[in-house]
Amino acid sequence: MAQIKTNSSGYPLYPPKPSGIKGQQKLLTAIAAFGFLAFLPWIPIFGWITIFDTGTNYGLGNLAFVFAYAAAGIGFNLLIGYSGTLGLAHAGLFAIGAYGSAILSAPPECLEPTCETIIRPAVSGYGWPFLLTIPIVCFFAAIVGVVVGFPAARLKGFYLAIATLALGELIIKLISLDEKLWSGLKTNGGTGKQVQIFEFFGSGQLKSAYFLSLGSLLITFVGYVIYTENRLGRTLKSVRDIEIATGPLGISSTYYKLIAFGLSGFAAALAGVAWAQNSAFVNPSSFKTRLLVFLLVVLILGGLGKLWGPLIGAVIFVYIRQEFQDSQKLLFFLIGTALMVAILILPKGVASLPDRFNDSRWVQDLRRRFKAVKV
Amino acid sequence: MSSDTSTFPLSLEDLHVSFGGNRVLEGVDINFVPGFNGLIGPNGAGKTTIFNVLSGYVKASRGAALLQGKNLSDLKPTDRVSNGIARTFQSPKLILDATVMENVLLGMHHRFKHGHVTELLRLPNHRNEEDQAREVCMDMLEEFGLAEDAHKETGDLSLGSQKIVEVCRALVAEPKVLLLDEPAAGLGADDVTILLKGLRKFVEEQGLCLVIIEHDLELVTSLCPIIYVLHFGRIISEGSPEVITSDPTVIEAYLGKGYAPDNNDGQGETDAI
Repeated sequence: MAQIKTNSSGYPLYPPKPSGIKGQQKLLTAIAAFGFLAFLPWIPIFGWITIFDTGTNYGLGNLAFVFAYAAAGIGFNLLIGYSGTLGLAHAGLFAIGAYGSAILSAPPECLEPTCETIIRPAVSGYGWPFLLTIPIVCFFAAIVGVVVGFPAARLKGFYLAIATLALGELIIKLISLDEKLWSGLKTNGGTGKQVQIFEFFGSGQLKSAYFLSLGSLLITFVGYVIYTENRLGRTLKSVRDIEIATGPLGISSTYYKLIAFGLSGFAAALAGVAWAQNSAFVNPSSFKTRLLVFLLVVLILGGLGKLWGPLIGAVIFVYIRQEFQDSQKLLFFLIGTALMVAILILPKGVASLPDRFNDSRWVQDLRRRFKAVKV
Repeated sequence: MSSDTSTFPLSLEDLHVSFGGNRVLEGVDINFVPGFNGLIGPNGAGKTTIFNVLSGYVKASRGAALLQGKNLSDLKPTDRVSNGIARTFQSPKLILDATVMENVLLGMHHRFKHGHVTELLRLPNHRNEEDQAREVCMDMLEEFGLAEDAHKETGDLSLGSQKIVEVCRALVAEPKVLLLDEPAAGLGADDVTILLKGLRKFVEEQGLCLVIIEHDLELVTSLCPIIYVLHFGRIISEGSPEVITSDPTVIEAYLGKGYAPDNNDGQGETDAI
């Protein structure tokens, strides 16, 4: 048991934790959740839900999408839930990750008969090692995120949302503009690109994509926990809640908004890489405003500012999307309805249900009775 | 007025502020000394505007504010606290869903040296600095009788306690000049006693220069050896409490009306800040 840090008169410096297992509840929950998800491909316990049945490639792929959306949602959560900055360029930053890694890692074009394998333009790229491209695109997206965030120095609320929305669309436009550079397959939504799938130690393409998505979720999750519990978390909160008072405290609100933009860009690109690996084909039309709306649904349905919100939201969202994928109109109707119901009944998202339950009069009443019985 | 302003912790020289055609401050000259300085005046006199000039919300149209001889307008608003000037607000500006400790730690923001990458990697110097900062904050909260509440959510505290938390946040920044905007408004008698005891300690031990805007005249006269009376953007009287309370211009402008709130003529005072 570690020594509890106190000041000279014995007051604890950190919030006191209950001793034993209860004090480590948060850490243990996270370890259990990620451990469970890591072993899920070998224990297909969701057999009764076809959509998440890990015994099939379909279920494995869906879960990988869940993780990718959740990772992007966590980055979004830091920006919107913590710094209170409504930046809506997330889909564009997601696309930078997906397209960037796909193009950088694909092998160079080779049409000569002397080549070992013929590489058609649709799958060609720059031939960089895939694992190297991940940090490159993530840092690049973080920089782009900061640039996109510059309007935050002047604009607020909906004005900022519109400005960043336009800049996010601009990123997609730039990606779909240069057909020569991407030289992919012509599709209805622009020039698509086949993605070179990376395999970890011959574990198969689908399991690789699954673990890559899970890994990206783990990285964003750990980063989110560390940052929100330390100095950056409270500083971002001050930018959100008491922006007017940040100047005299020596906190530059613009600087911290840009940090939030950069971090959310990093997370979005990481999620984008995982998403592209899982879907095996990237197309500019996949990243249009629709993706942004999906990410907002994931975030709001799950719970804004909640740690587990994006993951829960992503599970619900992917389930709805796969269940009703045959009818797009019905799908959008359902997503819209779910969003409205969430805002009306659970404004803090599904992740706030346990708190709501514990605070409800019924549970309080039950608890009081139990206490009375014990005494 | 003394010619050498650098000997004073804070001095205002011919300070003018106008919002459009509305002249809020019309040539204010004050040399604040270490210890308690009272700043009083009817609503709309421009008291909070002086604070807002000092913390950079409002630009002076003429004149200057000097912090130990250094012109404040040369400093960015975010750099001023590290040069030794801190403030509180009329209505407390605190993060209500963060703990009291986290709110007070915000006051130490400019004293942290480690970057956010160090924080992410949880390197030892991040831990050490965080521990030291928390110890400073906890000592400060203990000084003001809030140590028990340190890990409570700030929103659960009474308004009086919240105002004291804000004073703690300003004091952990180790300022040389502390601007308090109506610190005693909304405080109970016990809270006022604790607050004043704590403030006196800092004034006596560290020679802190405190500038207090306060409507409670009894409190100001008992606390401040020197008081400035502001009326329509001008200093109409300054001196010891006895001088002020017997000055006919002050009585006419301020006390004569019984300092009732209905003479608020909205002279551009940014009370909301």
